[in-house]
Amino acid sequence: MDNNKNIEQVSKIKTIGIPTQEEIKQAQIDFSPRCTSAGRVNDKETQKMVEYIMNFARKHSLFVLAYGTGCGAIEIPATMTSRYDAERFGMRGAATPRQADVLLITGYLSTKTLKRVIRVYEQMQDPKYVIAFGSCTINGGMYFDSYNTINALDRYLPVDVYIAGCMPRPESVINGIVKLQGLIQNGNAGGGKCYKDNLDWYRENQQKVIKNWDFPDDYNW
Amino acid sequence: MSKLKKENKILDKLKNVFDITGEIKYKKRVSIKADKKNVSSILLFLKNQKGYIHLNHISCVDWIEENKFELIYIVWNPNNKLTVLVHTRIDRENPVMENIDTIWDQANTYEREFREMYGIEFPGLVGRKEFILEDWDNIPPMRRDFDSQKYALENFATRPGREDAQDVREAIQKRSGEELPDFAKKYSRD
Repeated sequence: MDNNKNIEQVSKIKTIGIPTQEEIKQAQIDFSPRCTSAGRVNDKETQKMVEYIMNFARKHSLFVLAYGTGCGAIEIPATMTSRYDAERFGMRGAATPRQADVLLITGYLSTKTLKRVIRVYEQMQDPKYVIAFGSCTINGGMYFDSYNTINALDRYLPVDVYIAGCMPRPESVINGIVKLQGLIQNGNAGGGKCYKDNLDWYRENQQKVIKNWDFPDDYNW
Repeated sequence: MSKLKKENKILDKLKNVFDITGEIKYKKRVSIKADKKNVSSILLFLKNQKGYIHLNHISCVDWIEENKFELIYIVWNPNNKLTVLVHTRIDRENPVMENIDTIWDQANTYEREFREMYGIEFPGLVGRKEFILEDWDNIPPMRRDFDSQKYALENFATRPGREDAQDVREAIQKRSGEELPDFAKKYSRD
């Protein structure tokens, strides 16, 4: 009898308007602000909007790591300074890998340098982009038969944009930057995720070339 | 021969003191060929007695057909602006050469490079075994029996070329309509 009474009371109360636990949860979802915490977005439309804004911000503030390999590094001062002025695209130098967004591989990579480049790339924060200069990074270029330069860079690092030429002039460098900006805006750029997902494949290729693999075991970037 | 007075003077002097053969290549350049064991004393003589105080360069040539390495020491006198090249040939199978970094400190760098790139041993040479290359486990790469292209194909990933890539000489020949002699065809791409 007592139980029945309780049930009746509950049902009465419910009609009066006190919500159940499920209703409370639903209300929390409905009336809460759309971004509950940093980086967490609730519905797809808002996610799209936030991503659009974030991509817009990313593409207009590309910080380039001041690190040059091979002969292409000589094109960078010309691109950055007053005549070609890459800073109008939001491109400027960064001193350390952790502050940088873009890694420029400017020319051939010897196996010795590749080790350092991989280390630098893994230290960079996501989202990170790689622009490869010149024919050396595409198929080896004039160093195709050299005993200490690698031939195809994209076996070792994910490359977003290739700039063909030997060497590419500052105009084509800027063309590559604009291309990268377009890719970022569409959400197609950013090899960091690809690198993390397929790390085993990249590691296998890297260890074929770098014989003495003395990277730290618990290396966490 | 009055023009080459200085050159003849140093060549005669060297011929008198050491057992060498030599010639005057051209103005201000004297080339001598010496035995392996005489080289350090020739260089010391040139530096201390004759004022050839500057070591320009040490160069190495691989004479694989004769089974020899040729080392060339180039020294220079700042007073009369004469250059002397001291050639010597050493055995290729077990290449050992005298260390001269006690005469010139900068020879150390050259000798370390030869040790790495040609496998020539210099007894008493100070410095790390590894100089420019890193983790190298093949034969020294500057030797002529080292096949660089084969090594690159085996070790590095390659990308195939375009299928419609044309032979440059043939394409130009077709366009211009001129005949190529046979010896030139030999050197075109297969």
